[in-house]
Amino acid sequence: MSVETRTEVVCTLEKAKGELQALARTTESEIESVARFFEGLAGHADTILNLAAAIVGCVENESVSSALLKVQTLGAAARRFIGDRLQATAGILETVTTEVKLLRELSYVTRSQTGIALETKALSVLTNIEVARLGAVGAGFQYLAHELADFSKSLTADTQELAGHADSRTAAIEETRRVLAAELPCLREELARIEVDLGNDLAAVESSLTQLSRTPVQFRTCVEVVAQQIAGVVAAVQAHDITRQQMDHVQEALTLIATRILCDGNAENEAAQELAQAYAGLTIQIYQLRFIKKTIATWASQIRTCVGGILRVSTSDVVGIGPLVLEQERGLSSQLAHIERLERESQGYSGRIQRTFGGISNLMQLLSEYLQRSKSVRDHLQLLTFNSIIEASGLGTQAAAILAIAESIKGISAEWSQITDQSGHAMQEVLKLEKQTNEEMGAFSEATNERLREAQDQTRAGLDNLRTAAAFAAQRAQEMKIATEKMQAKTTEVGNAVDLLDACFERIDAVLAELEAARRPLEIDNPDVKERYDAAEIERLFSASYTTEMEREVLHAALRGTDLPEGQKTFAGNSVELF
Amino acid sequence: MRRILAVDDSASVRQMVSFTLRKAGYEVVEAVDGKDALAKIGREKFDMIITDLNMPNLDGIQLIAAVRNLAGCSFVPMLMLTTESQAEKKDAGRKAGATGWIVKPFNAEQLIYVVQKLVK
Repeated sequence: MSVETRTEVVCTLEKAKGELQALARTTESEIESVARFFEGLAGHADTILNLAAAIVGCVENESVSSALLKVQTLGAAARRFIGDRLQATAGILETVTTEVKLLRELSYVTRSQTGIALETKALSVLTNIEVARLGAVGAGFQYLAHELADFSKSLTADTQELAGHADSRTAAIEETRRVLAAELPCLREELARIEVDLGNDLAAVESSLTQLSRTPVQFRTCVEVVAQQIAGVVAAVQAHDITRQQMDHVQEALTLIATRILCDGNAENEAAQELAQAYAGLTIQIYQLRFIKKTIATWASQIRTCVGGILRVSTSDVVGIGPLVLEQERGLSSQLAHIERLERESQGYSGRIQRTFGGISNLMQLLSEYLQRSKSVRDHLQLLTFNSIIEASGLGTQAAAILAIAESIKGISAEWSQITDQSGHAMQEVLKLEKQTNEEMGAFSEATNERLREAQDQTRAGLDNLRTAAAFAAQRAQEMKIATEKMQAKTTEVGNAVDLLDACFERIDAVLAELEAARRPLEIDNPDVKERYDAAEIERLFSASYTTEMEREVLHAALRGTDLPEGQKTFAGNSVELF
Repeated sequence: MRRILAVDDSASVRQMVSFTLRKAGYEVVEAVDGKDALAKIGREKFDMIITDLNMPNLDGIQLIAAVRNLAGCSFVPMLMLTTESQAEKKDAGRKAGATGWIVKPFNAEQLIYVVQKLVK
């Protein structure tokens, strides 16, 4: 090989060495940037995880998961509440319909009493006429005429009052019946709607609570994943230090090769030996550089993958825990408000029914007093009739007319007694129905309201816990959003820094091309150069500075002409060996 | 807070050791080589030292040997963090007084576990 060629090859090697030095410096600076940006990224990921941990902790502390049970209890109570009222309303409607009939009957009976009052008044007038005709003999019947007049007057007044009340009550009950009949289908529809709403709300609450209950596990998994990704980047950044040392060793080897090429050798054989060693050395360095390129590609890809993995935290359920708690709180609040509105509506409805039946009670009270008085009037009439008949019989034919009047009074008294019984019977029926209605009204009682209120209070307490967690989550969610944005920005910075590393591949390729070019004259000059070196000697010569087993493996592959060894497949990192 | 000295001529490796241990709650001081480390050890007290092997000025084995000769440093845990995995090197490290050996890259979780164990 000519001196010029040797010089040329050495120059190429020097140039390659200089390029490798520059490349090592650039890569070191770029990897420092990656490490710095990564620290920032990991810090933001940590912030997000800490915030999520705080929310998960708050959700657990506030026993938010028990809210579902409370809401389910409330849902069941509301369903029962509405169902009972619907059933009671149907029963009340039936009762009210019967009551209307009975009140009409009562009203009819009462009106027939008016006829008796008129009849009694007529008898009183006739008695007065007879008293006048009889003169002193008939003076005793004056009392009868007077009693009959009084009775007629009081009967007329009582009947009018009772009829008036019965009519107005009938109208009120009729109105209630009409309203109930109209409202019942609406109420049924409302119940069906509420049932569907409750079912949907409960399903939504259950789903979000299930999601919420999964969050601590998801959070722990997320923490583990992030820790793995961070460890991956930490290992990849360290791997750079290995390639840096390998590049240093390649540079040292190039210096050694240059000295071998420049060495003239005393004998031709010795010179050929030196060139063969240089050739083998160049082959090894080409292998080493290819392996370095492969390793850089692997750890750059690992950094990208791990950074992507860390970034996924920002789109995970863990970050969504804040909005989830808020959404759940809103859902529950709206459901509670719905049930409260329903209860209020139901209270208004219940009040209307209670007022209507309160009116019936007043009427029944009046009727009861009236019947009491009627009975006493009937007894008095019977006594009067009895006395009049005795007295008239004593006077003989003179008092035949009075006797006839007394007989008429007897008939009226019997009729009166019958009507009073009919009224009493109707009243008993109405009272029975009233009792039945009161039982049905139990569905509208304070006790049933209380049961619903208890469930509402429990839910409200559960909701308060959820609100506390939601307020906390809302506050943290904002911080989380900011941290997520910062993390995304940092990820871009890490990505850009890693992208810069891609440029080093071209530079390594350029150095490889130079080394190939430097090797070529050696082959041309010595076609059997590949067979002229001692592998053991070459290994001793070039592996002296090696610090990793991988470099030795690459050297063996180069000397055997086999493929490059597999790089370190995982950058999970090595364990500590304690002495 | 426990203090750890991380010695490495590679800035990125120092960054990664510091990052890992700071996250675990340790205070980490960095030194760029053995000489810088010795100067810092002379001025401050450390609960543990993690050092690279191949460094300019003073290498890891020399540093460990020097620290072992310092008063009050006989029992300070010292881990070697290096790309080297040869048995003879490890033997030399053990003889110099190293507590353990980690071949780069280290496993973050493992490192924290061992540091916690040794520093306790």
